[in-house]
Amino acid sequence: MSFSTFVTDKAGLQKLYEAIISKYETYAPVEKFGKYDYKKVSSLKECDPDSPIAMTMSVKPLFFPRSSKIMKYEANSAGTSIRETDQDPLAGQRVILGVKHCDARGLQVLEAVNKWDYIDSDFLKRRANTVILSNRCDKADTHCFCTSLDYDVENLDAPDVAIVNGTNGKIYVQARTEKGETFLKENSSEPMANRITNDELQMTNCEEDLTKQYEAFLSSFRLKMDYKDVNERMAKRFDSPAFEEASRNCVSCNTCAFICPTCHCFKISDEKIKDTGVRYKSYDSCNNVYFTLEAGGHNPRPAKYRRWRQRSMHKFVYYKERFGVNLCVGCGHCAISCPVNISIFEVVNHVASAPIES
Amino acid sequence: MDYSKQIQDIAAKLFTDGKIDVFVGYRMNGFDDNQVPAVITDPKEVSTLVFTEKSVFNLSNYLKADHTRNKRVGLVVKGCDSRSLNLLLTESQVKRDKLYIIGIACEGVVDDKGQKVQNCMECIIPDAVVYDEILGTPKGKKDYIVNADIKALAEKGLVERREYFEEIFENCIRCNACRNSCPLCYCTKCCIDQETATIYNGSNTSSSAFHALMTWSLHLAGRCVDCRNCEKACPSHLPLHLLHKQNEKVIFGNFQNHLAGVEEGDRGAFYKYSLKDPDDFIM
Amino acid sequence: MESLLVPSLAKVDRIIQETPDVRTYRLKFKDDSLMDKFTWQPGQFVEFSLMGSGECTFCISSSATRRGFFDCSIKRAGVVTADIHSDIEEGDDVGIRGPYGNWFPLDDIKGKNLLFVGGGIGLAPLRSLIQYAIDNRGDYKDFTVLYGARTSADLCYKEEIEEWKKNTSLKVVLTIDKPEDSWKENVGVVPKILEEVVKPEIANTKVITCGPPIMIKYTLQSLDRLGFDPKDVITTLEMKMQCGLGKCGRCNIGSTYICKDGPVFTYEQLKALPDEF
Repeated sequence: MSFSTFVTDKAGLQKLYEAIISKYETYAPVEKFGKYDYKKVSSLKECDPDSPIAMTMSVKPLFFPRSSKIMKYEANSAGTSIRETDQDPLAGQRVILGVKHCDARGLQVLEAVNKWDYIDSDFLKRRANTVILSNRCDKADTHCFCTSLDYDVENLDAPDVAIVNGTNGKIYVQARTEKGETFLKENSSEPMANRITNDELQMTNCEEDLTKQYEAFLSSFRLKMDYKDVNERMAKRFDSPAFEEASRNCVSCNTCAFICPTCHCFKISDEKIKDTGVRYKSYDSCNNVYFTLEAGGHNPRPAKYRRWRQRSMHKFVYYKERFGVNLCVGCGHCAISCPVNISIFEVVNHVASAPIES
Repeated sequence: MDYSKQIQDIAAKLFTDGKIDVFVGYRMNGFDDNQVPAVITDPKEVSTLVFTEKSVFNLSNYLKADHTRNKRVGLVVKGCDSRSLNLLLTESQVKRDKLYIIGIACEGVVDDKGQKVQNCMECIIPDAVVYDEILGTPKGKKDYIVNADIKALAEKGLVERREYFEEIFENCIRCNACRNSCPLCYCTKCCIDQETATIYNGSNTSSSAFHALMTWSLHLAGRCVDCRNCEKACPSHLPLHLLHKQNEKVIFGNFQNHLAGVEEGDRGAFYKYSLKDPDDFIM
Repeated sequence: MESLLVPSLAKVDRIIQETPDVRTYRLKFKDDSLMDKFTWQPGQFVEFSLMGSGECTFCISSSATRRGFFDCSIKRAGVVTADIHSDIEEGDDVGIRGPYGNWFPLDDIKGKNLLFVGGGIGLAPLRSLIQYAIDNRGDYKDFTVLYGARTSADLCYKEEIEEWKKNTSLKVVLTIDKPEDSWKENVGVVPKILEEVVKPEIANTKVITCGPPIMIKYTLQSLDRLGFDPKDVITTLEMKMQCGLGKCGRCNIGSTYICKDGPVFTYEQLKALPDEF
């Protein structure tokens, strides 16, 4: 299927956003204390779809909430009953504005584990009912390395619609999936009059413009690596002392995992007051000391370096072995949010370049 | 304020004299002009140590880490950091004879944008209060001031104040970066880590975040030294100092101008009893 | 909302106090049709939840060849298990999800001699296979159960062991760590009894072992010494698990998920895993 590209400008895009917000249940980055988190919005004024990548939380909680109810129950001397929870607030038809490409890719990566054997239909339903509009960055931030990983940032099909800035104030709104194509056609009224198909891209100077912009984007990266090399080298370095060196500063909080677009570990906890209770599924992190602590007191990963080894090996070796993709999208959020700025990029490169002990 | 050279020399000498196993200082983060903590065990790495007004993190937090427990440690402390260190000494978390402390007569640190941070502008005790040697010229104590945001908080009614905090905590993601970055949070099992059947069940509901942060702040009341490691660590940029400064103000007013960790051996306000303590709230 | 994680309600039919800190809970799903459909293989586990306390992972310690119920034997160890012991009475409801995980290689052990080596609560997962094998006795040759505990009071399933002893088609060897007045069986740790009393036939024998980590460590060494091929030694691993579905990321050892690829492994497979359990 051939997907369309619409050429518009800033004003046109604003109008499209406004039309979407008035018509659909819309989520977009909303600023609070200088950080942007995805919230339900009712007007464009409340949010900023162009929020800076470094200051924007991942969109992951809209698909895999920080805490979601598994069930409600009542337990007393008369017995126990499990009640249906309220309707899933994230399962309806909705649109998300201002997603970043790396973040959208994160959802694609997460699909692999959620489709593995036991299918997490809740996650898949939330994604299926959502149209994601993603902005491609013009310039890399300090900790970005998305272009060094195993996906094609330029032609990414993780968002349904990709928005790319061209030169001279031109903005390209491109459908990347069938869902996105239908969505754009339904909503491409007056502001989106200038529509071209993929075949026509070549004939206009649009493709040239896009390529030029992408090259400028590529050259703005401070961090570059060869992920295949890192995958191979990491796999051979389970016993490397480099993990200890790289993780010394870590304060063992959960920040890196909680803000990561691909981390998916969780815990199950109960909140019971008197006879009624709720069971939650909430984020958990392998950097947390209690994560693997067994009831008997044994902990397979008591030391910080062991937990960091799990974290980095899971991202660049184990997940790759199981599902064929890296469990990292190169967004750099972990480094930005870390209290002591530990970057997964630095850790894996430090380990990958360490000598193997004989 | 640049003591990089002095600190490198001192650390190098400590390693050569065999007086320390680990040195905790600051190094450049490797990508911009900001710094990160450096935990050094290899004397060769001493040359990476720096200290400027960008040396923000309170390093006494590392005294509870795997690398420094039961080791001889050299570390750098600013005024506020030394107060938390003092409390750790008083609370028997570290032994004085295992430490070599480089105190700094601090002139205040700056944020990413180069602006002096708020707690340094309100700082009462900028000089290190516990040290083996001190760098810089001590300036002495300043007067206690209550900042505008805390004054504004006092004007709010109870309900309004609760709503205000609930709104702030809405963005809390329960990552515990605040707790883990706090040098004074060293409990082996923190109450907010409980996973079963309590209000602190580790979930990210607003009530859970509210209870966890409130309880946490109360455990630090009378102990918090306003280093703001927690606030700087918060990925959601929550103004956590509001909790601690409010507690500090109340305690300063009610417990004979108590400030945490100023004197060696002085316990937190809630851990000591004095006949002068107010009792007008007791029925 | 998280439909994969919602448990089904089961009623505690009977509680058997096995030892001072181990109880066996005999469970039946409240929904009879669910109970009829519910089946499992020896070695699989369930997520057992006490409402208000949380979920814990336990192996099913009975065999599906005995229909209408299933057993979980629970040792008091942490917060949740302490709550289970103190709060659950006969007739109470608990939540059950499962069965999850892999099971003992039933095809591989067919036609072989079976040697079970268990210690303490480690007999629980073995019991499921022992019952299964007793119910399919014709499929196996020699059948030996070596079971040890710290004291005679710490031996689980005492009544059932008496029945096994009466069964002439299997050999039961019991041991405790230190001598006791009324104790007439073996005294000594499991690996010692294995080498000195059981003296198993190596050829054509499959060893199935489970117990506390320290016992496993020395038992594996002594099986090595006796000359067993690591392929013929089967054990089940215990690791903190929470979802049982391969999603929550807690039980990884390398790229192996204990909850999906395990908990049953051969010694050969264990040797290939990174040392992180």
